[in-house]
Amino acid sequence: MSKTYRGGVDALIDLDLDVLPGEVFGFLGPNGAGKSTTIRLLLDLIRPTAGSIALFGLDSRRDAVETRRRLGYLPGDLRLSDRLTAREQLDSLVRLRGSAAPLRESLCERLGVMLDRPIRELSRGNRQKIGIVQAFMHRPELAVLDEPTSGLDPLLQAEVRSLLRETAADGRTVFLSSHSLDEVQHTADRVGIIRAGRLIDVDRVETLRERALRHVSVTFAEPVDPDEFAALTGVRLEHVEGSSLRLSAAESAMDAVVKAAARHQVVDLVSAPADLEEIFLELYREADTAG
Amino acid sequence: MLDRRRALVAWSVGVAAYVLLIAAIFPSIESSKELDELVESYPEPLKELFGIGSGSLTSGPGYLDAELFSFMLPLFVLVLAIGAGARAVAGEEEAGRLELLLSYPVRRSRAVLAKAAGVAIEVAVLCVVMLVVLVLLDPVFGLDLAAGRLAAALGGLAAVGILYGWLALAVGAAVPSRTLALAMPASFAAAGYLIGGLHGLAGWLDPFRVLSAFWWVGSSPLQNGARVWGIAVVATAAVAVLAAAAVLVERRDLKVP
Repeated sequence: MSKTYRGGVDALIDLDLDVLPGEVFGFLGPNGAGKSTTIRLLLDLIRPTAGSIALFGLDSRRDAVETRRRLGYLPGDLRLSDRLTAREQLDSLVRLRGSAAPLRESLCERLGVMLDRPIRELSRGNRQKIGIVQAFMHRPELAVLDEPTSGLDPLLQAEVRSLLRETAADGRTVFLSSHSLDEVQHTADRVGIIRAGRLIDVDRVETLRERALRHVSVTFAEPVDPDEFAALTGVRLEHVEGSSLRLSAAESAMDAVVKAAARHQVVDLVSAPADLEEIFLELYREADTAG
Repeated sequence: MLDRRRALVAWSVGVAAYVLLIAAIFPSIESSKELDELVESYPEPLKELFGIGSGSLTSGPGYLDAELFSFMLPLFVLVLAIGAGARAVAGEEEAGRLELLLSYPVRRSRAVLAKAAGVAIEVAVLCVVMLVVLVLLDPVFGLDLAAGRLAAALGGLAAVGILYGWLALAVGAAVPSRTLALAMPASFAAAGYLIGGLHGLAGWLDPFRVLSAFWWVGSSPLQNGARVWGIAVVATAAVAVLAAAAVLVERRDLKVP
């Protein structure tokens, strides 16, 4: 699927992606990479220049009303009717949906939605809660969420993450976008990484983490020759200070690192998993050199 | 919809107050016969433009034609209608609210038709308010109005309002610009108003009079009676514009702010 905006901006180039039923799929990329464009194509808000999208085996364009009946959507930039209260806004959205909203009450309670204040008086986080409620209230088979936790405090972020996990555990599907890998790593089963309109990687979160470099800090009793470590495959020396070394190593290189270290007297050894954010940046760099 | 209802109530109160003010002045106008002599000296097309027609400013229908139906009431109705029409699609789209609405299981054309019904209802409510106010004030200030003509006059006004309101909606359905959705019907309405009033004065404008909704419904409706078939023509045009809106809205990408 491709999307070229008028004026020749290629927002998406040959995007090919399968999301499986019952999984939480994290769609990652920096701002402007094409995440929201992809999501809007799913919802038939905009139309692909080439290609097509199937949702529940239906065509996203031809059967747009039916597919939208079965999904729930949270826009990235949620705008509500400012003069209404949350209750009035949700009432009007339930009417618009034209079907029951069995989860509405429990979700409002769980997220602590302020129902009776006009929306214009609510903070960004409190508006976002209304958006989450409306996306989930009808128990959709698929929830499409554009940066769902933005504006929420850490406690609520955790609450929303567990909501996503529960949805998947229930056999329903979640497709969420984010610009931060860290945000989705505890929620998503798989992630797709998009950059400048191209999908550059799709992987299980664990696989990504395995590919990730460890940060290893070793302190020896006396200074050692750093080249002993720098020469190992998959190892990059980051910092040497006195008898301490800091290096980054792929999972596959860990054995060699430990064995090399064991030839000397070790005072301390710390291995920390790389931040997924770094993997993310690493992938960007790879895509840059490849492209 | 709920916040539109509040705005409509405010509009209705304001317009009702204006109508009351104008009607309350009538008894003092009625007694000044000099005014009729002055007006009598105006050229015929000018009288047409001011809504005086062949009648007299000192009769109830003549006075209200000139003071309300020739300019102010159409202006009120058009501002409300074009504003509502432009807000309904283009305004909601620019505010970013259309995205959520269209992510619901609603066909775009149906959403546009529902919005159009909202615009029509707003215009109709305002016209009914004017009707009720004038019917109530008639005996109070001795306006001496014919109920049928009054109803037809307001019917014509409603038809004109709905036509330009739906035009604003249709422009917004076709292009994501609130400015254009306001400007296009507003200039069409202004041009239509001038053509309707001046085509008799400036002969070269005469062929264009069919483009004016104001010409179709007729001038000085309380004295001459509104043209019912003209109202039907305007209503038909409104439906055609709306059909175009329903088709055009399906064809494009939603714009997001």
